[in-house]
Amino acid sequence: MGIENIRHLIGNIIIYIGAAFMVFGVVGLFRLKDFYPRILVASKIDTVGVLTLITGFAIRHGLSFFTGKLFLIMVIMLILNPLVAHIVARSAYLSGHKVNGIAGGTPALPELDENGE
Amino acid sequence: MIVFWVMFALLALYMVRTIKGPAMWDRLLGLNLISTKIIVIIIVVASIYGKPFLLDFAIIYALSGFIGTIFLALFLSERRLGKQRGNKDGY
Repeated sequence: MGIENIRHLIGNIIIYIGAAFMVFGVVGLFRLKDFYPRILVASKIDTVGVLTLITGFAIRHGLSFFTGKLFLIMVIMLILNPLVAHIVARSAYLSGHKVNGIAGGTPALPELDENGE
Repeated sequence: MIVFWVMFALLALYMVRTIKGPAMWDRLLGLNLISTKIIVIIIVVASIYGKPFLLDFAIIYALSGFIGTIFLALFLSERRLGKQRGNKDGY
């Protein structure tokens, strides 16, 4: 059992864990009825799933350019994925998508007076 | 290899959610998740073939996919805000 296939083994296990995360993300996406909890769950689990997957591949490939690029993708995903989820949820809230989870649903926006504040 | 096919299955499921989604925001969310899935698929392919230059596609696609979704979300929110302010074409 060379060190090579032990590393492959560990990498593979982590990759499968990451894939399992993603499957849970899909389950969350379809079970939740409202938009806001759905975007919360989906984007969070998705980011975690991608990160675990990338660490799994990084372990599989050891120290090389491949892992360097993988690390770069990991940084990008870590920063951008929550950012995009926040922007989508914010634009949904700003333009009047009701949050009906709370009792009665808060009005998304105070009624805009004539000059639009 | 299995992860490769699992990712395609997830892609199809997200596609269903994007098409079925009641509000247009679900569609935006679906688009965002689909672009993440495509990045993972590119990584899996690059890992299988062992070619590091394939990862550049994933990096470029990650950046441009997210930027596209960001501006789409901003565009959608501006449009409805514009309608509230009364001008008909929504700006």
